Amino acid sequence: MSDSSFETEAGPSQEPDAAGEPEAELADGSPGSRRALLRRLPWGAWHERRLEQTGSDLDPRFTFANERTFLAWNRTALALIAAGLAAAQFLKFNLHGLRLIIAVPLIVLGAVLALASYSHWEDSERAMRLRQPVRYSWMPRVLSGGIILIAFLGGILAIIDRLAQ
Amino acid sequence: MSTRGPGASIGATGTHESGHRHPTLAPDRTALAWTRSALNIAGSGILIARAAFTADLDALGVASAIAIALVALLTWRHGQTIYADRGLEGALAHHQLVALRWLTAATLLIGVVAIVVTVAI
Repeated sequence: MSDSSFETEAGPSQEPDAAGEPEAELADGSPGSRRALLRRLPWGAWHERRLEQTGSDLDPRFTFANERTFLAWNRTALALIAAGLAAAQFLKFNLHGLRLIIAVPLIVLGAVLALASYSHWEDSERAMRLRQPVRYSWMPRVLSGGIILIAFLGGILAIIDRLAQ
Repeated sequence: MSTRGPGASIGATGTHESGHRHPTLAPDRTALAWTRSALNIAGSGILIARAAFTADLDALGVASAIAIALVALLTWRHGQTIYADRGLEGALAHHQLVALRWLTAATLLIGVVAIVVTVAI
């Protein structure tokens, strides 16, 4: 999430509210007004406006696809966290603490992926708005490597635990 | 949306031959993705609460269960809201920067609570 890379030279903003006012609300309680309310929240509102002023509007399908990809990565992160919790609860090692060696890296990997998926979503959104190619993500490699490493570690720990009996 | 449907032809840029934006079934898939995310969050909440109760951290278990259930509900609700919003005729697909940030923050918080509970078991 490098804020310094916000650029607007690729094309004029097509936002109707370039003067800085929130976009026209449809009616009180309508989805449009809820969105406008969300934008008034201090956290992220400024970044949201800057992102909207970057480049030009996208084909909606690209926005949807980018959002779904983020959500898929986020679910993967949650699944890793859940796997870590399950490992902590259900793995039975004779040596106390061995299960932490499996559980904690899974949870940490999940947290890293959650953070990285947001960063990748924002980078991709910006790149597409600027009509630039979307960069490949390092996340699949980290996920694969992490899972292989943790599985290997689990195998070694199982052997150590057996020998320590 | 009147322009949606399998019978309508779509150009390469998602524009219907009538000139209207034609988002096909992408909003439906996206709404389903939000629902799946909400279910995933709820599942994580159940696991965290169970682990907290196992570790005799009852207060943390109750608090995290309530908080995570709320996050799951909000996530599902947000998916439904933007689905309705995007279904409006002529509506553009606004990105969800703020919502995605909150979701990321919630996931990170779930991770932190998970580590606390895991160490405490």
